[in-house]
Amino acid sequence: MAILTINGDTIEVNAAPDTSLLWVLREHLGLTGTKFGCGVGQCGACTVYVDGVATFSCLTPLENVTEAEITTIEGLSKSGDHPLQKAWIEEQVPQCGYCQSGQIMKAAELLAQNPQPTRADILDHMSTNLCRCGTYNRIVKAVQNAASEV
Amino acid sequence: MGDVLNRRTFLKSGATLGFAIGVTGLLGISRASAQALPRDVSGWVSLSPDGTTHILFPSTEMGQGGSTALPLILAEEMDAEWDAVTVEQLHRDDRAFGNPLFGNVLYTAGSTGVSGYFDTLRLAGAQARAVLMRAAAAEWGVLVAEVETVPGLVLHGATNRQMSYGEIAALPDIDLSLPEDVTVADLKPASAYRLIGQDCPRVDVPAKSTGREVYAIDVSVPDMVYAAVERSPFDGVGPASYDAEAARAHTGVLDVIEVPDGVAVVAARLEDAFLAKSSLDVTWDTPTPEQTLDSDATLDAYTAALDDPNVERAIWREAGDASAALKAADRTITEDYRSDYAYHGQIEPMAAVASVDADDLGAEVWVGTQTQSWSTYTVTETLGTTPDRVRLNAMTMGGSFGRRTALRQEYLRDAVLLSRTMRRPVKLVWTREDDVRSGAFRPAAVQRMRAGLTEDNAVSGWQHDIATPSVISYFNPLRWEQVRPHDIISVRGSESQFYDLPHMRAQHVITPAHARIAPWRGIGASYTSFAAEAFMDELAEVAGRDPFDFRMSLLGNNPRGARLMERVADMAGWGGAASDTALGLSFAGYGNSMAAGIAEVAVDRNSGIISVPRFWAAVDAGLVVAPDNARNQIEGGIVFGVSSSLKERITLTGGQVDQSNYFDYEVLRAMKCLKSRSTWHKERRRPRALERWARPWWLRPSQTGSTP
Repeated sequence: MAILTINGDTIEVNAAPDTSLLWVLREHLGLTGTKFGCGVGQCGACTVYVDGVATFSCLTPLENVTEAEITTIEGLSKSGDHPLQKAWIEEQVPQCGYCQSGQIMKAAELLAQNPQPTRADILDHMSTNLCRCGTYNRIVKAVQNAASEV
Repeated sequence: MGDVLNRRTFLKSGATLGFAIGVTGLLGISRASAQALPRDVSGWVSLSPDGTTHILFPSTEMGQGGSTALPLILAEEMDAEWDAVTVEQLHRDDRAFGNPLFGNVLYTAGSTGVSGYFDTLRLAGAQARAVLMRAAAAEWGVLVAEVETVPGLVLHGATNRQMSYGEIAALPDIDLSLPEDVTVADLKPASAYRLIGQDCPRVDVPAKSTGREVYAIDVSVPDMVYAAVERSPFDGVGPASYDAEAARAHTGVLDVIEVPDGVAVVAARLEDAFLAKSSLDVTWDTPTPEQTLDSDATLDAYTAALDDPNVERAIWREAGDASAALKAADRTITEDYRSDYAYHGQIEPMAAVASVDADDLGAEVWVGTQTQSWSTYTVTETLGTTPDRVRLNAMTMGGSFGRRTALRQEYLRDAVLLSRTMRRPVKLVWTREDDVRSGAFRPAAVQRMRAGLTEDNAVSGWQHDIATPSVISYFNPLRWEQVRPHDIISVRGSESQFYDLPHMRAQHVITPAHARIAPWRGIGASYTSFAAEAFMDELAEVAGRDPFDFRMSLLGNNPRGARLMERVADMAGWGGAASDTALGLSFAGYGNSMAAGIAEVAVDRNSGIISVPRFWAAVDAGLVVAPDNARNQIEGGIVFGVSSSLKERITLTGGQVDQSNYFDYEVLRAMKCLKSRSTWHKERRRPRALERWARPWWLRPSQTGSTP
């Protein structure tokens, strides 16, 4: 039995210590906004915050995060109105949408570090996260849009 | 008084007004209790007393935005208030409203959604509006000719009365006969459009920006267990032996079950299923010699097929006498073009949930699909049952690009088989490695281009031979029976119909498939247009002419195309490539739409790495229903095409896929993302194919800037 802090809630999980945080979130806890894409830290669809750091949950064993504050897309803003989420809607970023939770979590980390990122800053920071639909240019616009709001 | 009471009673019971649609427009009008769930309502459009207009969406959503564009077309003619429209996926294989461009099969592919349903949806919307006007006029005791609509309301100007669509839905007595007097001639002129051509936000974007969108891989149902499948690297070749005991020894494993082409592990937890699967140690039965070829050997075999008159050939398009023209030419030029297998790389791996009924003759399934029809077929064939026993949930897809189109969908079939055996719901999930190694690829192809030039360097004859398998015969044998030997998926784009080529022939040299294959974004055009346009540059070089001028000389009868070329050349500054870069030009058609593109190509002289910093596109897709989304599709298509051209390649060694994940099948990342600008020809008549401009843009630098 492990105790996790997810989106501010304390949650008990009955999973093996080496289970990846991704499966704990998605299949044990039903927090399916975090996506499975590659399982090897190559696509970023599973990106969550661990103590404020954008982290591949697929590569994070449960036992490493029992003391941590975990934030998923569901907890980024309870009502889904984080400036990035509003900007994502305003710029109409998603196509299939599958990678976008991870993109938003990764972008939130950037804005926390750099409130006024350039196009190059954004593309560089976001390069951990694949978008097969090719929405990268809209992501840049949305991050810049959100940056002007925060 | 009684009337009012009746109305109140009716309102309290909450009736809805339902409109059933078929390819010819409205099929029927009905009343139903609002207690009925939306999916039980027979109407494609249902209007509730609160004014909500609920529209079923007959295509499926993979990111292309059809779930907004199609309902929007209907709402336009119905004069429905867009803010009061709710959209729901059609989950049934209801051929009454299948895609007219696919023989009424429910099938979302080939850029046919908007163009295929455009007339039907407009007519149905106009008929629904006529029913509402007739009902309001009857209630008021006035002539229908005296009423009109504004969004969501019927008005009678002479008496200054109005009635909302919701109020009309609640009227106790409505004439439910079909309006007979509505024809295409009654549809709005484009100048009256208030939704079509405007930037209405997509209905799916909020859920996709907050993690709330539910894909097949996210589905969870009570009592569900998990399955992982070790899939055979060879199509139709099953296991010879495997270590079931080792797999069973893992925590949480419930069973080890053979499925066609694979061995499944079922466990209480997904992580346990994946772990146990890795200990199966399967040895596969013997594949055929063709199944064990290296991909280079396949390309060599396809090249040989081009020279072998015994290989079946199918003329795809022919005009004039290409053979005679080539024979009479001053010079003939011949070039071969090879293209590799390509992987879809959608970020959601294949996944399905199935819950088979106790009698084994029915099931509820949840699956991402481009076709309600063939997902239903997969289940009926697997269980030996009838379509009425299939409860399909057609989930939105985490990308698809042609992957989820097959007549027999192996991931869905396996989930159904496993649920039947386990007697409980099963969620089957492929790993990324399963998805790559067991992928169904764009086929490898070898193309031979031949052209004749006259003394004054005009193209006199054109021949385009495409040696590649028939994708349709592989992924949908039923369809192949109908279309054989014409395989649009394998050879589309080779028709080159937008150039003046009076003596031309394009033919499919139908080679055997040596791997699992599927339609892939842009279908045949992804490689046929690459070959045709690369060859066009070769010809321009032989002719000593600028590639732009050379193409323009073939566009004399195509003012639409010539306009696009001029536009893109203007945008990119053709003739003035920046230092140490080159510009590459391309022009092609798809269906009845066409596009011109220019890529700026750069080479890092130290690493030799080629990049595409910028891309310009001019597109003529006819009337654009959703401009902002269209722009997003074009931008995304450019990224997809550049990714394909620069990075993507599936290779086989001994018939087994060499790649396994995104580290060895790389797709373009943000840091390599190019800047793109696109524009389109403004047309107000009708939509043409668009999503396919979401297609591989071929790259061949043909105009080099100054180098230091």
